[in-house]
Amino acid sequence: MTNKYIGSRVKRKEDPRLLTGNGRYVDDIKIVGQLHIAFYRSDHSHARICNIDTQAAKCSPGVIDVFTEKDICEYYSPVIAQSRMKNYQATVMSILAKDKVRYVGEPIVAVVAESRYAAEDAAALIAVDYEALPFITDPKVAAQLNAPKLHEELDSNILVERSFRRGDVEQAFWKPQVHIKEQFRFNRKTSVAMENRTYLANYDCTLNHLTLYSSTQVPGIIKDALSDLLNIPGNELRVIAPDVGGGFGGKTSLYPEEILVVLLARKLKKPVKWASDRLEDLTTTSQAFDELIDAEIAVDADGKILGLKAEVIGDVGAYSIYPWTAGIEPVQVISFLPGPYKIENYDAHVRAVATSKSPTGPYRGVGRPCSTFVMERLIDLASEQLDMDPKEMRLKNLVQPDEFPYKAASGIVWDKSGFVEGLNAACDAINYDELRDQQARARDEGRLFGIGISTFAELTGIGSRISASPGMPINTGTETASISIDSTGSIVARFGVASHGQGLETSLAQVVAEHLNVSIDSVRIIHGDSDAVAHSTGTYASRSAALGSGAAILATRALNVKLLKIASILLGDEEENIFIQDGFFFNKNTDKSLSLKALAKAYYSQMGSIPAELKEEIGDLSATKTYDPLWGTTSSATHVVALEIDRISLKVKISKYIVAEDCGQMINPLIVEGQVHGGVAQGIGAALFEEMVYDEQGQALSASLADYIVPAATEIPRIDIEHLDVELPPTLSGVRGMGESGTIGAPAAIANAISDALAPLDQYVTELPMTPERIFRLVQAAQNPSS
Amino acid sequence: MKPAIFDYEVATSIEHAVRLLSSSDNSKIIAGGQSLMPIINFRLLEPSLLVDITRLPDLQGIKSTLGGGISIGASTKHHELETSLLIKERFPLISDAMKHVAHLAIRNKGTIGGSLSHADPAAELPLLMLLLDAVLHITGPTGLRKISVKEFLVGALTTILEDNEILTRIDIPSLPKRTNFAFNELSQRAGDLALCAVGVTISMSSGMLGRTKKIKDARIGLMGVNDTAIRISEAENLLIGRSSLDSSIIDQVAQICTSTISPNTDLHASADFRRHLALQMTKKTLTEAWEKAQASKTSENQNKENQSEENL
Repeated sequence: MTNKYIGSRVKRKEDPRLLTGNGRYVDDIKIVGQLHIAFYRSDHSHARICNIDTQAAKCSPGVIDVFTEKDICEYYSPVIAQSRMKNYQATVMSILAKDKVRYVGEPIVAVVAESRYAAEDAAALIAVDYEALPFITDPKVAAQLNAPKLHEELDSNILVERSFRRGDVEQAFWKPQVHIKEQFRFNRKTSVAMENRTYLANYDCTLNHLTLYSSTQVPGIIKDALSDLLNIPGNELRVIAPDVGGGFGGKTSLYPEEILVVLLARKLKKPVKWASDRLEDLTTTSQAFDELIDAEIAVDADGKILGLKAEVIGDVGAYSIYPWTAGIEPVQVISFLPGPYKIENYDAHVRAVATSKSPTGPYRGVGRPCSTFVMERLIDLASEQLDMDPKEMRLKNLVQPDEFPYKAASGIVWDKSGFVEGLNAACDAINYDELRDQQARARDEGRLFGIGISTFAELTGIGSRISASPGMPINTGTETASISIDSTGSIVARFGVASHGQGLETSLAQVVAEHLNVSIDSVRIIHGDSDAVAHSTGTYASRSAALGSGAAILATRALNVKLLKIASILLGDEEENIFIQDGFFFNKNTDKSLSLKALAKAYYSQMGSIPAELKEEIGDLSATKTYDPLWGTTSSATHVVALEIDRISLKVKISKYIVAEDCGQMINPLIVEGQVHGGVAQGIGAALFEEMVYDEQGQALSASLADYIVPAATEIPRIDIEHLDVELPPTLSGVRGMGESGTIGAPAAIANAISDALAPLDQYVTELPMTPERIFRLVQAAQNPSS
Repeated sequence: MKPAIFDYEVATSIEHAVRLLSSSDNSKIIAGGQSLMPIINFRLLEPSLLVDITRLPDLQGIKSTLGGGISIGASTKHHELETSLLIKERFPLISDAMKHVAHLAIRNKGTIGGSLSHADPAAELPLLMLLLDAVLHITGPTGLRKISVKEFLVGALTTILEDNEILTRIDIPSLPKRTNFAFNELSQRAGDLALCAVGVTISMSSGMLGRTKKIKDARIGLMGVNDTAIRISEAENLLIGRSSLDSSIIDQVAQICTSTISPNTDLHASADFRRHLALQMTKKTLTEAWEKAQASKTSENQNKENQSEENL
């Protein structure tokens, strides 16, 4: 078979709609009679609720009703994220705060009104009396066993605790040539999708059926959870994720507002909508990696890594998020810390600590932006002490091409991926040696010019053998495709995965069209709808290309078997003499041909054309198949960046950026490159700009887009990409996941490049983001070493 | 994030606008709405009446005034200032600095009077008008008064405007002949509020009949580093009368500026970092302005040549 679509730069089918402003997001859906919710949210980070006065709000014009937790608690079961992990403590989250509040922004009262304006006017009239409780904002303090507890029913604030150990770490750290010991800090950030979280529930009383339109990445997970929590049979509930404007992990969790719109639509028998504003989105959408990492590395005189140690505290915020749990980010920091390197001796320990801040959850790259930042800094710090080029030290320690599969120190198994090839390709593409010469000249002129490398590996497209979040008891390992050809010969392919910007309507259509040998224009993709397939979890963890295309291949194979049987009868020859090309079936021996449309019409509509017993055997022209890639596969990449720090403004200007990545078979290089560009842009945000700042009282200070700084187009340099073609992975389509790699590699590469730029001042980076203010402090420290 | 209920009236004349403003004890003017709308959406302000002054022809446009100055109606949009040929010819400093005012979409809506009346310490318009010795026309119930920008700016987000007064017009007198300038701004992202900006103008004497050219007029202004935009007269005076500037004078001027300002610490920059920026950016900006002044020819047609030569 020649590849017609797979690997081609097919223009995205969804773009004309999205780019002309004709996308249909949840807030674009307006149902006659819809009501609006505004929340009264906590302005305390930790306090007991003494009294809630909603009297004035209830009398405010346009208000339908006002709800507190005691008004709704009998209609649902509280949200509890379960885990099989030892030492895990689940939290209980109610929809509206019950008895006490645990973060600023936690919803306490819901006002339902005829318009959002009326709802907000009424919410402003609500008065809540609080009794302040101790702030629990410093995770180091909160981790102590005698610290005040955020959840009184738990033993401590430590929700998750886990260790990984391999080899003899004591021995490895016994007088090594180089011993680096450093504390790293990756400050909290958040997703900032263009579309804020928005939910609309519509209850059809006549059919006893509920539809939730949700800006979610995971309609299947939401449906399953709502069915349980609200005790609604699945056939009375449908969750649709229409066009969704970005997710980045922030839309993979179940939110209180999402449950509430469904609960209230059922209770009020009216459509109910909640669209978060930017303030709510910044302060209540699950936030990302807030990690403090004490790490040590031991290296011998040749630059070989002898051992690695880490002690990690992850500040996970107020609740263990559903369904991923508080373990998702911090545990994966130590799962992935050894990276693509051969490290025989490893000892790492992590605690996920509850604090009175917004809950954290999955964020693009999960764990690996932090682990890569730390590991890549350690390598650069060690190579500097050895006076060895950082590229050289990486080459010495990377798993070599003949050493796959390699079981990493935390137990992860890397299947063959282009670790060494990626490093070499990136350095070649950026002309590494010439760049070092350029740096030497710049330094002679007193300029702060730096080059940074980061090399990393991640697990993507994982199947049923590993949970997408450690210990989480839901199946994240399979995806289903259901492809059917109807009586008009039209092809519809239904998937459970849900696109929120990735272009799945295009890439999955490419796979279906390729394997059915039809035109891509004849394939319609349905996704983001819990009615599409019987079970799905959705799109996250770089899985949809790998799992979705695998399911599509299995379903097209099954469908092709049916089509060939029918074509052989209609074309009057053995199946082996029939082939299909561009939507036509041909008989090799005659010049007879038959279009897919004619075949479908003949099959469904011409009585007697197909023997009855064969028709019973074939059924309709559809196939539903589920794909499980079991262990998933390794994706890897190397980023190299050159940048300069302006001596006056202390701003970082990136002059060159290269990514060499191994994502296996590309379905659509345009989409792959777009994902890399977007990911790197977000990684630049994490490295230089974005930080969710809380004060010691747990107040979010960066709660607007004037204070939470996301990079704009003017801050993003040209990004060049080298695609590696090393060896196809064991996934059915040969695809490796690649949606997260940009955010994983960029912070580390930039941290290394800034450190390299500051080397003449004997300063280096241990904290991200490196804002001009933080660079200023390093430069000051260089000028006043005593202070 | 929706505003509380308010009334909205469109003024048909300046006097009508003043009457409307006086009719309520909680009224606000709305023009471009680029600062006001976020504030009322956050419910930081809950005005009961908004008076729309965007349809008053008297408040529109840029006019030439006698002696080479200009007069700008307060409802003139930033983008008009940015692209006006008259301004480019007479006050290239404004044309140059306007690109730092937020983003194009905001410059298309926001007005010069709105920016001045909002008085954000990190906004460009107050600094530019301070540098150019602009005179502000303020109309209230008792008629028109004219005051300097320095008097107008009281503190961060605070001016001398009474609740029922309107900033209607800004007059900018001509600059001395043989004026060169430099303007530098630093913000985290393009279009953000400035962490620090410095503007410098240097006007030289004619140098006719073989006399040495000297600095006749010098202006140094900073913003983002003080509770209002600020001119540093002590530093300006140090420059006047000099025929050359060496690095020790430039350092001294920058030191004076840095010790005169009183910057805040906020999320984006500490007071120390802002002092660093003020010091370094003053040196840089003064040096650039001086270099331009040096590069300019000594003919009587000085001004015109400056413009073509430096593409201001």
